[in-house]
Amino acid sequence: MLNEFSNNTISLFLQKKKKKGSFFNFSLTTFSPNGKLLQIEHALKAVESGATSLGIKASNGVVIVTEKKLPTTLIDENSVKKIQKLNDGIGVIYSGLGPDYRVLISKARKKSQQYFKQYNEIIPVNIISRKVAGIMQEFTQSGGVRPFGVSLLVAGYDHNGPQLFQVDPSGSFWAWKATAIGKNSSNSKKFLEKRYKPDMEIEDAINTAILTLKEGFEGEMDEFNIEVGVITNDKKFRILEPEEVKDYISELNL
Amino acid sequence: MQKGGFNFDLYQRNVELIEKNNYKVPKTTKTGTTIVGVVFSDGVVLGADTRATSGPIVADPNCEKIHKISDYIWCAGAGTAADTENTTGMISLQLELLSLSTGRSPRVRTALTLLKNFLFRYHGYISAALVLGGVDFTGPHLHMIHPHGSTSTLPYISMGSGSLAAMAVLETGYNSKMGEEDAKSLVHQAILSGILNDLGSGGNVDLCVIKHKSMEFFRNVDTTNSKRKFRKKLPYMFKSGSTKILEKEIEEKMRKMEIVNEKESQIEELEEL
Repeated sequence: MLNEFSNNTISLFLQKKKKKGSFFNFSLTTFSPNGKLLQIEHALKAVESGATSLGIKASNGVVIVTEKKLPTTLIDENSVKKIQKLNDGIGVIYSGLGPDYRVLISKARKKSQQYFKQYNEIIPVNIISRKVAGIMQEFTQSGGVRPFGVSLLVAGYDHNGPQLFQVDPSGSFWAWKATAIGKNSSNSKKFLEKRYKPDMEIEDAINTAILTLKEGFEGEMDEFNIEVGVITNDKKFRILEPEEVKDYISELNL
Repeated sequence: MQKGGFNFDLYQRNVELIEKNNYKVPKTTKTGTTIVGVVFSDGVVLGADTRATSGPIVADPNCEKIHKISDYIWCAGAGTAADTENTTGMISLQLELLSLSTGRSPRVRTALTLLKNFLFRYHGYISAALVLGGVDFTGPHLHMIHPHGSTSTLPYISMGSGSLAAMAVLETGYNSKMGEEDAKSLVHQAILSGILNDLGSGGNVDLCVIKHKSMEFFRNVDTTNSKRKFRKKLPYMFKSGSTKILEKEIEEKMRKMEIVNEKESQIEELEEL
């Protein structure tokens, strides 16, 4: 068995076969003796050390916010857009590795168009979350690839009302009323537990989200180093302009 | 997973069948249409008739021939209905993906290029003749696309079996300084001309007016041609006794069944248990 295994790899090396970018036939994510998938645990660590992102589901909408921590002031912050739209009615934010996020957004957008092509219906939030989770799971079980180093927060409004989903590197996904990911996520979640009310309206939720972000923020928070995305019952996801964000921040400072 | 495109595996067999076995090739169904587009000072007006034909029969007297490519880019289609609907549908999805990826609203010339490249790949076998019009950040644009993949950019366009009738009206009435109302009325008259003078076109007139960040769809703006004047009121009623009875024969098909009181028998069964 072992000889066949090593023969296969040697023959693969010699033939220089390339299938869809993955060189190996075998998965690099394997079980450890205590039943854990260490690669996924390490991926979650990468998420935990990423910039904080959080989301709150209100009774009439969803808000997602993130820290836009740029390594130097020389970077043009206008070119960096962390919050992205998957389609008109769904927005996403992440914590973890930016390039992995970009690839996932590309794949997710394509899936959502394919769904529309097949069913002539705008993809529901739980279905796109499930599909993205499926993609992430594939990369924990396919040959020659590593898991994605991001957790996503998917915010949308469909016929089931406002919804907020988290998708993890393992491929698990679940819905939240309010949550935080990345640095300080546990402190932020404790803060949110005290402040969250199920009948919260979207304006209240936006204020709470920005306040929660401020709690763990290193340095001064202004309209250029955070991003805020909102969706209400008009079912159009909107990323707030810096002027609007400035208004919310100044309200909190009063 | 299926690969895209056509499968020519049966080509040899088909050629042999036709030549040696005298096999009669089924005729492709052609659909007639009149579609028109006109540029005016602030934007573009697209017009279409609403008749879908299958040979000599009107398959759909009120179909929609003006398709959405994006919010302010619309496309009228002539030819095979399935081809126009699916082609415009696919390019619409590709354009949305592109617009999300670039963060910009889509341009008419991008839709044009996607459509013409797609149709050229199929060398005319996809029978979609399109009038593409829209307003993007560079202004109003109007193009015509032939099934083989060639395109033209013109101030006024007509396509479909009724294009000659419509073009006659456009040539007479078009002037480069038209406003919105003049353009709408010109397109309306052109489509009406197609409906009246071409057998393959008919039904109602649909109009679509696109200006900067505004789109108005006038569905069935003119229905004078689709009201049939001499239609008998339904349902057809005949006086009883109008059909003369010549013979009567009665056959017993089913023996009448005795209905036992169900509930009583069930209770009896339970008590026995």
